[in-house]
Amino acid sequence: MTRVQGKARRALPVVIAWVVLLLLGAFGFLPLVVMVTTSFKPADQIFRIPPEFLPSSPTLDHYIGVLTDSAMPRAIATSAAVAALVAVVTLLIGSGTGYAIARLRFRGASGLSVALLLGQLLPITVLMLPVFQVVARLGLIDTIPGVALAHLTVVVPLVTWMLTTAFSGAPIELEEAAMVDGCGRPRAVWNVVLPVVAPSLVAVGIFAFLQSWNEFIFASVISRSANSKTAPVALTDFAGQFSTDWGATMAAATIVSLPMVVAFMIVQRFFVEGLASGAVKG
Amino acid sequence: MQSQWRGGSAAPPQARQKRPALLSKRDLQGWLLSFPAVLTMIGLAAVPTIIVLVGAVSPTGLSKLAELSQAPLFRQTLWNTTVWVLVGVFGSMILGFAGALALQRVGRRFSGMWRALLLIPWVTPTVAAATAWKWFYSRDYGILNLLLQNLGIIDEPVSWLTNTDIALFAVAMVDVWGRFSFVMLMISSGLQAIPSERYEAARVDGAGAIRTMLNITLPGIRDVVFIVVLIVTVWTLNSFLPVWIMTKGGPAGATNILPVQLYQYFQTGERAALEALAGVQLVLSMAVAALYVSRARRADA
Repeated sequence: MTRVQGKARRALPVVIAWVVLLLLGAFGFLPLVVMVTTSFKPADQIFRIPPEFLPSSPTLDHYIGVLTDSAMPRAIATSAAVAALVAVVTLLIGSGTGYAIARLRFRGASGLSVALLLGQLLPITVLMLPVFQVVARLGLIDTIPGVALAHLTVVVPLVTWMLTTAFSGAPIELEEAAMVDGCGRPRAVWNVVLPVVAPSLVAVGIFAFLQSWNEFIFASVISRSANSKTAPVALTDFAGQFSTDWGATMAAATIVSLPMVVAFMIVQRFFVEGLASGAVKG
Repeated sequence: MQSQWRGGSAAPPQARQKRPALLSKRDLQGWLLSFPAVLTMIGLAAVPTIIVLVGAVSPTGLSKLAELSQAPLFRQTLWNTTVWVLVGVFGSMILGFAGALALQRVGRRFSGMWRALLLIPWVTPTVAAATAWKWFYSRDYGILNLLLQNLGIIDEPVSWLTNTDIALFAVAMVDVWGRFSFVMLMISSGLQAIPSERYEAARVDGAGAIRTMLNITLPGIRDVVFIVVLIVTVWTLNSFLPVWIMTKGGPAGATNILPVQLYQYFQTGERAALEALAGVQLVLSMAVAALYVSRARRADA
């Protein structure tokens, strides 16, 4: 009898743990589930009182509408171009610093690390005007490179920080061995270190892509027309003040979210490890 | 991770006495490699920050700030921002802590699954999430009211986003929604770092669940909690999208917070007001950020 009691006592917290996780799961997923179910509801079901949870007869109309007859496809292409540009440029810009901070204990390295951390926490609403002026002076308002340049403001400190972690994680013995064998540092890095950290670099590149894809404030002030309007900005155009087509809006929101969730699933493990060592997203 | 902080401070004392050349070869290499990132950050972050600060403390900036601070809207915005940060930080800390404790109890396989699932709100683009929440909150067509009515929690549909007493909390909940899984992960890794011998020692001493929590668990995660509170405070202070997408600061300024006010000043072209208020936002964010950085460095050393 005592054994049964003992088991019951140990089982109780597990039950509570499951209840907590299920409640958090409900909180976390309900709005997203509603977003997806609404996107499949026929137009006449969306504004029914009382509302109904599941689509009565699921339809793809909203998706077809968004993908063939809205600003969304072009905005998604723009977002992809901006985000790809940001990912490539930040990797090129950040790798040198990441390696230098991780490996060459040069004077000023620790100050530079502090700058990288602070840079991730600067409020974008504060930098919006001066960065807008920089982009304007370069004649890049309402262009894809202009939006990408503004995104570097927030993505470069983040990516460089993550690259520092990635390079620190590579075993230092490898490059030391290569240098003992007569390789110069550049050759050692190119032939020995890069292949080891390549998967991390890809993951960091994907994060840079995600950050840029999600960014709204800079994109909204720099884009003026379809030339440079990104997907998040285009999404806000769907929700008018009084006459929102919620079926189409939810379909568009699902389309904007899907690539992020899929990409996240791919790099999830790195993501969780990277989290433990520093900030990842604002 | 640790090596990066050793930087210049770990140089042996003899080397410092010898007073080497202004820049050693290694310093030169380091700065050459860092040049592209440093240049980008100077051009896009440092110089803009200085411009904002100089504008804010200039005589015109200060007199504009004095003028703004007379307006009731300004005080309401500051008050809203305070409530917004408190609700956002407390909410995500409590949910994140509960989630982290729960993750420890469900076994390795399930905790990995839950971790991945619960991170999805965090990676969902905020614009899309806030738009979905706006619809979820709809008074007449929203599933939230339907659910709460069916559960018997409320009798009448609630106007989540148009009631001035509720709107700020309703919007802050969306911020919590997007943030709690980050807190959960951080605290979870803090919990895992507590050596299991400590728990065994407590059990041998006959400590109950509450004593164990107070004497082992909480002291064990104190540092990580402090760091997470600081970083979440900065993020919440800078957070803009949930409010902008769902209420644009309304109704009647009930959800107007500093970043939203700044964005509105940009849109209406009130440049002097924008510059003055940007200084306030910058000082607030960077004060907390500086605390975070000094604390994170100490934890790292």
